[in-house]
Amino acid sequence: MTAFLDLLLGSLIVSCWLGVLGMWRMREPMQALHYLALPAWGATTFLTAAVFLQTGNSQAAWKTLLMCLVLLAINSVVAHATARAFRARELGHWQPRDGDPIEFVRPGRVK
Amino acid sequence: MNIWLMAAVVIIATLVPCADMCLRGSPERRLVGLEMASVMITIAMVLLTVGTGRIPFIDLPLALAIMSFGGGLVFARFLEKHL
Repeated sequence: MTAFLDLLLGSLIVSCWLGVLGMWRMREPMQALHYLALPAWGATTFLTAAVFLQTGNSQAAWKTLLMCLVLLAINSVVAHATARAFRARELGHWQPRDGDPIEFVRPGRVK
Repeated sequence: MNIWLMAAVVIIATLVPCADMCLRGSPERRLVGLEMASVMITIAMVLLTVGTGRIPFIDLPLALAIMSFGGGLVFARFLEKHL
């Protein structure tokens, strides 16, 4: 059990450092934003498993699971809001328009 | 020092690159660094709570995780509109 706990905490550390170093190395903020997912998804999952392993069916373990779910949920929302803010700040709008170098479906054209 | 506290120290060390992101560069990079730092601090607080055996303190990282949601949204909105 101790070896498995060590493995979980080691995986947590690796995912956190990979996320932080990836964020740090990226030049564009939009690229750096993607590395938030690694600690928010991977590290919190390893952390929850480790706390369950250490404390068993305890209040702390369930609260850590709740914290993990909160981080999983809000990371997606905050990352989207941040990316939208970056785009709006750069272009003055965030919705795709004609001439943008991306493919998009116009509203009302989907059948 | 048990393995939880050692892991906490290693995670707290990730705040150095986050601080570098927050203190230098464009406002966009600073915001990304801030959001990463909030996730790292949340994880480090859980590790410290279990490592020190003060289990009631587990409420603090839970509160921080929820509060950082609002903080991130407010900063993103502020960056979009006013900076």
